[in-house]
Amino acid sequence: MQEKVEKFIVPIGPQHPALKEPGHFEFSVDGEEVTGATIRLGFVHRGIEKMTESRTWIQNLYMLERVCGICSHVHGIAYTLGVEKLAGVTVPPRAQAIRTIVLELERIQSHMLWLGVAAHEGGFDTLFMYSWRDRETVMDLFELISGNRVQHSVNLVGGVKYDITPEQKQKVLDGLNYLEGRIQYYEKIITTDDTFLGRTRNVGKMTKEEATLLGAVGPTARASGVERDVRVESPYASYPGHPVNIVLDEGGDLTSRFIVRIREMFESIRVIREILTNLPESELTVRVPRRIPAGEVISRVEAPRGELFYYIKSAGGENPYRIKIRTPSLCNWGTISSVAVGHKLADMPMLLVGIDPCFSCNDRLVTVRKETSSQTMYWEDLRKYGVEYYQ
Amino acid sequence: MSLTLPSLVSILVFPAGMFLILLGMVYEYVDRKLVARYQNRFGPRWFQPLADMFKLLAKEEIIPDGVNKALFIFLPILGVTAALTSALYTPMLGFAPAFSFRGDLILVVYMLSVLTICLGLAGANTVDRFSLVGATRTLTQLFSYEAPFMLTLLGPALAAGTLQISQINAYAQDTWWMILTQPIGFLVALIGLMGKLELPPFDAPEAETEIVSGALTEYSGRGLALFRIGKNVELVIGLTLISAFYLGGLANPLEFILKTLGLLLVIALLQSLFARLRIDQTVGLWWRIGAILALVQILILVVGRLFF
Amino acid sequence: METEKLFTIAEALLKPWAKEYKRPDENRLDVYLVREDLLEAVAELAQARWGYLSAISGVDLVPPAQDGTGENQEGRLEVLYHFCNSAAVLSLRIEIPYSDAHVPSVCGIIPSATIYERELMELFGITVVDTPVPDHLVLPDDWPDGVFPLRKSFTGFDSPQAQES
Repeated sequence: MQEKVEKFIVPIGPQHPALKEPGHFEFSVDGEEVTGATIRLGFVHRGIEKMTESRTWIQNLYMLERVCGICSHVHGIAYTLGVEKLAGVTVPPRAQAIRTIVLELERIQSHMLWLGVAAHEGGFDTLFMYSWRDRETVMDLFELISGNRVQHSVNLVGGVKYDITPEQKQKVLDGLNYLEGRIQYYEKIITTDDTFLGRTRNVGKMTKEEATLLGAVGPTARASGVERDVRVESPYASYPGHPVNIVLDEGGDLTSRFIVRIREMFESIRVIREILTNLPESELTVRVPRRIPAGEVISRVEAPRGELFYYIKSAGGENPYRIKIRTPSLCNWGTISSVAVGHKLADMPMLLVGIDPCFSCNDRLVTVRKETSSQTMYWEDLRKYGVEYYQ
Repeated sequence: MSLTLPSLVSILVFPAGMFLILLGMVYEYVDRKLVARYQNRFGPRWFQPLADMFKLLAKEEIIPDGVNKALFIFLPILGVTAALTSALYTPMLGFAPAFSFRGDLILVVYMLSVLTICLGLAGANTVDRFSLVGATRTLTQLFSYEAPFMLTLLGPALAAGTLQISQINAYAQDTWWMILTQPIGFLVALIGLMGKLELPPFDAPEAETEIVSGALTEYSGRGLALFRIGKNVELVIGLTLISAFYLGGLANPLEFILKTLGLLLVIALLQSLFARLRIDQTVGLWWRIGAILALVQILILVVGRLFF
Repeated sequence: METEKLFTIAEALLKPWAKEYKRPDENRLDVYLVREDLLEAVAELAQARWGYLSAISGVDLVPPAQDGTGENQEGRLEVLYHFCNSAAVLSLRIEIPYSDAHVPSVCGIIPSATIYERELMELFGITVVDTPVPDHLVLPDDWPDGVFPLRKSFTGFDSPQAQES
């Protein structure tokens, strides 16, 4: 019986109760233990990069906000910041502040959503229901500010559409007060509940070196102690005036990823409060020419999932010449297939969700297809690579 | 044994048969509603389990390729039959069991396991990978909770000095509630029942985020409906047994309803409190803690009886 | 300025291969290379642990409009390797002609580059030599060969590029 050659493969996806978006994973298992993992994405590729080339600068804003449904605002920010730089205009400070407020609200919304999904994958449906109920607070604040819950569409090229009135400001602050209490409660749960810790502690452990080598970004990297946060490294919008404290944790396992995201929400709440109480008075928009001068620009922002990278090239016309988008989920995929091996099958959904993958963001562009595991990075390769890298 | 009219009634209408199936649905509804309320949801309407059952019974039953057809059809029937049979020996609604003989407790315990074994076999019968993993987990779980669960039912039996359920029930009514004298046994029995019914947090065998629906992934229509009926029946019987043994016996319908629903309240709370345990954690929990606790309980009982 | 310091280091590292430096923006440095030197330059950066590879962008540079005087100029493809280090963004730029569209793979040095290289192969028709897995990527399995959607000549399936293949 030792010469068991055939692998028992458990497929997850493209349609599977664990995945809310299409992706395909194949885990070869030995009993309950995972011995290999391959990933196939690309089921929701929409060719957005090509589409940008045939649309005007204004039209593109609305399309790029639809790259992702969870973090639509951050795509709009990356794009508008880039285009404004190309056009050589400076957005008024009040518009910058409002953008930043929405950015941080979006981060809270995204992390709350993730908390619920991750709890659900771990079979902890009560936490799922509670966190999504409280997430409604943020959604209502979005509706208050922009009239929309999901696609807020706050941005314009050269400013923002919506102002925040004093009444709205008070409501946002009230909402944040409520949320802060709730998030403190969730922090207590994820750090003290025994069954939950049993599912997250030491699961998917990734050291700082591995996270660096595998190119992890965002909370996934920060949970392994890698100091990578674009808001801190290269501040944009209102972040220069209201700096963010980087949230780090050294654990590197799922528990750390939970903790980092939860603490980031506190940080977001702090920043929003700070900006709201010091909201500058100014115009909301500035005029931007219809034709953007030729040139190219790189725009990096910190999305809820990590670094979002835009490369925009203009040939001086009404349409962009080329827009390249690199979303954070893409960077984090590599961490899964190498970390999965050796874990239990039951840990896989949580591990997958641990990086907070966003398939739509991903598939806009690139597929990782790991046929016959030829591309899976195994520990040996990784270690060898690490040894060479660090000499 | 010739089938007389009273025995036919007891098999087809009460306590087994139609009555038990309907009661199972009521309990399923109560359970779902309670869990939903604990989770801050609204939960289903009162006729939801009934509607589900009718829908499933009306649907086409798909028999997948690669299965043994006879087994595929036969296993759910066997499972439900076993569950219903065990009801004949339990004090349903607080009335005396329809049938009774010395040692019927052993029979009931085995009959209750038949459903789980059928579930495991049904999963192993198909070639679906989720079913196979689910079947492995179902049977693994069976082997882990079964021994402690049996030991905890043995506790009251030892105290009563009989293996006949009706006599244990009568004994329980006369003495202190055994939840007070054997608290460890009660706790293990309650959690054992949750493991038996694959309720969260012991739902690894049907963890939807990993293996879709576990052993039942390939079942649809009638087969699925039967398995669900079987589970509901088992829930009722399990609750009946535990309240008869540990909660001072069941003397009349009112007592039955109050005690079993009270237990269900606790079970629903436990369901919503925890994250799902991995199958290795489940096995570890039962053999490292559950079995030892149950043994300690039995040991205390035996030693206690020696000195009395 | 920390960014300035980082760029000074990068310039020193890349000195042997750089054809030209450009500073399009205060936190950007563009270094123009030829294809043959790419691997050595990337290896040098990785060796010194200067930042991390953030993305690889491909750009299709169509030939300028013809005025009827000269020969048809050949289009070129540009590949940019973006390295980020704190606020600094360093782009290694190489240009290759349509007729000789291939670049070496940097996966031997930076394994996570594989996804970006596959994008180049599939969407731009740039052959990445020695990339670990050259399979079909983001596009459907039945996508026709020789049709590269991010080339400017592709405007849909009725475009000349798609018709030819």
